[in-house]
Amino acid sequence: MRRSILTAVALAGGTLALAGHAQQVPVASTAPAGSGGANNPSLAGTVPDAPAPRLPDGTPDLSGVWVGGGPVGDIRDGLMPGEEIALLPAAEALMKSRMAADDPEARCLPTGVPRTAPYPWRIVQTPAFGKATHLFFLFEGNIHSYRQIFMDGREHPDDLEATWYGHSVGHWEGETLVIETVGFNDLFWFDFVGHPHTTQLRTVERYTRTNMGTLENVTTVSDPGAYLKPFTIKFTATLRPGWELMEYICNENNQDVEHIRGPAGL
Amino acid sequence: MRIVFGFLAAAMLAVVAPVSAHHSFAAQYDANQPVTLTGVVTKVEWTNPHARFYINVKDADGQTTTWNLELASPNYLKRAGWSSTSLKEGDEVTVEGSLARSGANMANARMVTFADGTRVFARSSADGA
Repeated sequence: MRRSILTAVALAGGTLALAGHAQQVPVASTAPAGSGGANNPSLAGTVPDAPAPRLPDGTPDLSGVWVGGGPVGDIRDGLMPGEEIALLPAAEALMKSRMAADDPEARCLPTGVPRTAPYPWRIVQTPAFGKATHLFFLFEGNIHSYRQIFMDGREHPDDLEATWYGHSVGHWEGETLVIETVGFNDLFWFDFVGHPHTTQLRTVERYTRTNMGTLENVTTVSDPGAYLKPFTIKFTATLRPGWELMEYICNENNQDVEHIRGPAGL
Repeated sequence: MRIVFGFLAAAMLAVVAPVSAHHSFAAQYDANQPVTLTGVVTKVEWTNPHARFYINVKDADGQTTTWNLELASPNYLKRAGWSSTSLKEGDEVTVEGSLARSGANMANARMVTFADGTRVFARSSADGA
């Protein structure tokens, strides 16, 4: 056991200087046990310096376990050059009134779109070979949930009920997966600082795997109920080779909310 | 063993650290209110959204107070080399962290020092999980 964990340390040696103990770490040669299995980063492969993979029919293959790709703390962090967020007065007032403890994510509710939780997520397409009819985004957090993207050419139905992830249809434009989503509820926030939206929200996400380890997401957010004009943001997800999703049942023992204080954006 | 897993946890930080937890760290804890607590582990909760452990701290008058200490989520801890038995009931520990804004006997645990002097980096929501 001891030897095995030492191996993990040795493999992770590139970051040991952070701990300030590097000089005390001996080298060993066996694999770690009880330290996360396939989820131990020391066992995971490094991202190969390779172009984005393709399916046998030539379609870009976006599958894999990713981290990031959307706003967490503040959606403004991803604003593209020349873009701005212009809140309508009612939305601005709503945002100013929001308290951090009311953030649905803190209460173990879904992120909605385009917000991302700081946990890994996996893209799965089915069927795995040939033209996918469905894509799934499987989220480890927050919460243990999924998005379903219809790739079979259907349109949004006209009898949508509002939901956390809305109704998503996707298609390919060259190297880019384009996902259009409507039918959102107005319950989730875009970020910790509480950027709001209404049920008029419509998102167009454009995912491009620029190389093996990088997935760019350029999303245009349109919501005439909350924003003066649409705005476009860009966030980048990075591949976690060798990782598997793990369980994260957020509401199991959530003691946080009752101890959170102050306005959103603190 | 503990020394090693401390190294491992610290080493993994740069690899796995996301930008934040499911809540804003600053909304729950005050980084300007550091606290150091020494006591005996009475309970470990390997639960979401955060693993927690509780310690009994005796003050100079012999009065005992129980503190509730937050770690990262089990998935992040596991990826950083922890397991559900890394901290055990009965362990004597010193914890460095930040106090909860609520005024409760609660803190996030940034560093845990065991009775043998081993300092273990303890992932917490301050570090992104």
